[in-house]
Amino acid sequence: MTLEATSANAIESTIESANENVEVTETADRSEALTTSAPAGVAAQSARLQQAVAVLNRLSGAVRSQVLGRDDVIELAIIALIADGHVLLEDFPGSGKTTLAKALGEAIITPLQEQADDVAAAIVPFRRIQFTPDLLPSDVTGGSVFDTSTNSFHFRHGPLFAHVVLADEINRTSPKVQSAMLEAMGEKQVTVDNTTYRLDKLFFVIATQNPLDLVGTYPLPTPQLDRFLFKITMKHIERDAELDVLDTYKTRRDQSQQRAHGSLHQVTRSEVLMAREVIDQDVVIARAIKTALVDISRNLRSDERVLQGNSTRSMVLLMPALQVLAALRGRSFVSAEDIETLLPRVLGHRVELAPGVADLGKVLHDCMREPMEQLARTTLQ
Amino acid sequence: MHNRTQTTSQDSILSQLLPSSLRAAIIASSYWVLSLSLTSESGSVAAFVGCLFSCYLIDGLINRPPLRDLRLSVIAVFTLVLLCVGVFLSSVITGSLTIASLIPPLLTYEIGEVLQWFLFAAALTALLRTLAHRTSYGRVTEILFVAAAFVITLAAHRQGMIHRPFFIGDYALTRGIDPSSILMALGCGAVLALAGLLMMENNHRRLPYHFTVLGLLCFSLLAYVQLFGLPSPRLTDDLGLTGAARAEGSAAEQDNPFRDGENDASDKEAPVAIVLFRDDYEPAGGSYYFRESAYTEFNGTILAVTDRDDLDEDLITHFPPVRADIEEPLPLPDKRQAVRTTIGLLAPHRTPFGLDTPVAFENTPNPNNLRFKQTYDAYSMVPLLEFPDLIGRTAGDPDWTPAQRQAYLELPDDPRYRELAETILQDLRPGYADDPYAKALAIKDYLDRNGSYSHKNEHAYAEDPAASFLFGDLTGYCMHFSFAATYMYRSIGIPARVGIGYSVPASNRAGGSSLLIQAINGHAWPEIFLDGVGWVIVDPAPGRTLVDMSVDPQNSLQQLLGDMLRDEAAFDEFISSQQDEPFPLTVLVQTLVAALLLALLGGYVVKVYRLRAPQFADPALRYRLSYRATLDMLSALGQRRRYGESREAFARRLSTMTPSFATMTASHLYAALGPCGSVPEGIKAQPRLPLAHAPDQAQDHAATTATPDWLALQNRIREEIGSHIPWWKRVLAVLDPFAWLRTH
Repeated sequence: MTLEATSANAIESTIESANENVEVTETADRSEALTTSAPAGVAAQSARLQQAVAVLNRLSGAVRSQVLGRDDVIELAIIALIADGHVLLEDFPGSGKTTLAKALGEAIITPLQEQADDVAAAIVPFRRIQFTPDLLPSDVTGGSVFDTSTNSFHFRHGPLFAHVVLADEINRTSPKVQSAMLEAMGEKQVTVDNTTYRLDKLFFVIATQNPLDLVGTYPLPTPQLDRFLFKITMKHIERDAELDVLDTYKTRRDQSQQRAHGSLHQVTRSEVLMAREVIDQDVVIARAIKTALVDISRNLRSDERVLQGNSTRSMVLLMPALQVLAALRGRSFVSAEDIETLLPRVLGHRVELAPGVADLGKVLHDCMREPMEQLARTTLQ
Repeated sequence: MHNRTQTTSQDSILSQLLPSSLRAAIIASSYWVLSLSLTSESGSVAAFVGCLFSCYLIDGLINRPPLRDLRLSVIAVFTLVLLCVGVFLSSVITGSLTIASLIPPLLTYEIGEVLQWFLFAAALTALLRTLAHRTSYGRVTEILFVAAAFVITLAAHRQGMIHRPFFIGDYALTRGIDPSSILMALGCGAVLALAGLLMMENNHRRLPYHFTVLGLLCFSLLAYVQLFGLPSPRLTDDLGLTGAARAEGSAAEQDNPFRDGENDASDKEAPVAIVLFRDDYEPAGGSYYFRESAYTEFNGTILAVTDRDDLDEDLITHFPPVRADIEEPLPLPDKRQAVRTTIGLLAPHRTPFGLDTPVAFENTPNPNNLRFKQTYDAYSMVPLLEFPDLIGRTAGDPDWTPAQRQAYLELPDDPRYRELAETILQDLRPGYADDPYAKALAIKDYLDRNGSYSHKNEHAYAEDPAASFLFGDLTGYCMHFSFAATYMYRSIGIPARVGIGYSVPASNRAGGSSLLIQAINGHAWPEIFLDGVGWVIVDPAPGRTLVDMSVDPQNSLQQLLGDMLRDEAAFDEFISSQQDEPFPLTVLVQTLVAALLLALLGGYVVKVYRLRAPQFADPALRYRLSYRATLDMLSALGQRRRYGESREAFARRLSTMTPSFATMTASHLYAALGPCGSVPEGIKAQPRLPLAHAPDQAQDHAATTATPDWLALQNRIREEIGSHIPWWKRVLAVLDPFAWLRTH
């Protein structure tokens, strides 16, 4: 049985179980209303969506228990994970990005019965790559190794074969390695010795770069930047949250060690894939929303303060992210406030401003006003 | 960071003070100019000071708490109230007897003016400045006001009219400048300076907008002037300030007919009278002569209108109350044609005039008091004399007393007249050597050949202008020619006088029955008295002329005035088509009030409809109609979604006031943007919210049901609003007819 078949079955079974579960679990009161008033199809659809959101909430709960005071970043990371995008964190050392990536990776487990099929792929939950100037592509992707016992080459998987990959200081490595990352991130595959190996469906990169310490770096080329769904600039966490970090570091360390044995806050890989599938199918994007997105892009490109506007790809990448956020907010449709939340995060690293213009926020605000107003008005028409 | 903003704000205070002072000065000067012609000097100063005060007040305080928190409409109402208070106080002060008895009346008047103009300028400036600060069009309004103030004052000075403020006119006129150019230059300077101020603002986005508006305004003004012309200044006939009233007819009242000022060519087309011919008549000589009066009696220096009863018995000196017949019998009745004319005077005259030779005048009802000063019928016995009828007659009437004859022959004590006359008559053929008419023609011929017609009055201040003309350059106008000819006739024993009146070319009549007399037709001519004929006009017509005497005969005006004299209806038509009508203020006000009432009614109808529509509408549309009704309700309370704000953000903003509105918004968006379009037909009518909201909203909207009862939700929101909003605001909201216009 192939990987795809497995996950498809898993999703179906999950949906069925979800349908049964819904009526007795935490949303019982609401689903009563649903089942009495709505046809079964819609009820099933909404129940599926609820199930998916429940998965995401569990996932974010798991990460949140490890990473304190970074709820917004966690939410964005999870959105990116479900929307099949990647995240670029721009911050300083020791701000918890490794903890975040590790928590996220470890929160997704692969149960033993599923593992059986994945042994060959040797997918692990989490890998961290520290990018240095002398890193080689094969250090990232893996390489062919000669096995003397069988007298043949066999492929040894590199650190990219994981659910969550933390690419630390990604701008410190050579363009060669960056191009290998580019293929992996864009196509979800690596090619070694002319053989293409597929990466995991959940392959998710959290890359970091230090915006200040630029000596000896290779700035990321624009196409690679374009492959990151979000670029998140992290600020220092709040005082109380920082105090909490110090208070609870012991507990969290212990929890992290218990992870291997399975805990309440864990989700399975298939559950995550199911959530991705369900959200993709069930969250509606109205045409008005798409119109607004296109209009905003066009406004940006024609704005004289913008040197280079955003790509069409950025809008394509944004759509699933909008769906995820809508689902997280408890909607089965994408609404204007989702755009308001996500668009600045998505466009921040894609729009190049003209010399002398510093405030992207203001430019974006100006370009968004009119299409957003039109979007709001369509609902009364 | 904080320090930096402080220093920049200090810089900007300095850099703001200069333009705002300049602007204040310009606007204040426009008040000054505007008030000059409307109030006393102290009133003008008060307007100036009031404007300055208001400018600085608004500029300084508009961004500080008391003013900043007030809405534009509140400020506007306040300024309007202030304006009314100013007018009211002023009328109270000037109208009150007690105050006037305490202080001198003049002082009372001044105080009233000062108060009124100070408050007027302050209130209006405050309104203008607030508009300029708060709205995008305000600055243009300001420029427009300045321009209008100058234009209003300027328009009164057009065409050299004397008008307040007098000192500008005095200054200009004594230096030979058109006063309007001075005001024009001032106004242009003011508007340019304001436009410069507009440019100095660091708002480059608004600049094109402002200048487009300004350009459009200028263009429309230009188009208006091109199409309709400038509004014509009112005639001030009674004061004789405009040329139209200064017709030749009044020249008879002056001591010296030569000193009638420079012959200003500007108003030569001014209509003086309209003559309606009741009988068919064409003059043989090519001109219609209308005699009004005559200079007959020599008073020692010059010929003047006589007040002796025994002279000029064929003339009457004043308008008759009913009918006046000239008793003097006319000889040669068979050589005369009776012509009845109706004359409508457009300018006042002291004596009636009639077509040569009038025998009776009769007042007729004036068909239009506004247009005609006076209308009367003139009955004339027009002479149809030919040369043989005139030749071989003796000069003077044998029935005259010696005193009469003497009066008609008196002339300045200057032998040159006789010498010149005799020199001229030397060449006369022997057969005619003693014939008075032939002599008169010979002298006329001399003047025709040697004289030059000119409006230049070089001889006005000579002791005897006629002598100065005749023995000088022989250049002058009708008055010179007629006096010179009359003196020469008298010197050789022919009784003569100077006839005064109008001479209109026959071609002007253009085939119609009416004839327009224009100011330029005013004329004087010599007449001689022949026995058996009466007074005969021997009018010199100089061969050379130095001025262009041709004017537009204004045939259409002539036609219409004639029609009007006959028939009032045609005149009314003419008035409405030609004159700039007085502004129909009452009609305009009525129309405006009616339009306002209609708009109000329409507003309420739409308001009620939109409020009630959800109850009757298809349930499938309730999500939209019900939400719209709720938005209308909120809009009337002043709660509106800002431009570009999302519906959710708006709902969140109002969540403390009405949490149910967020629920409604969510349901509405679900119906509008949600999966309704993609699910089967039957489900469409039942939009539902299947999922919990985002964690932070979940608690608020726990009550959200799958199919919200829109009407119940609407009522709940109304109750929530009711408990949060004071009653008077709700009353205002109910009364507001146009809140729905701002619902989006």
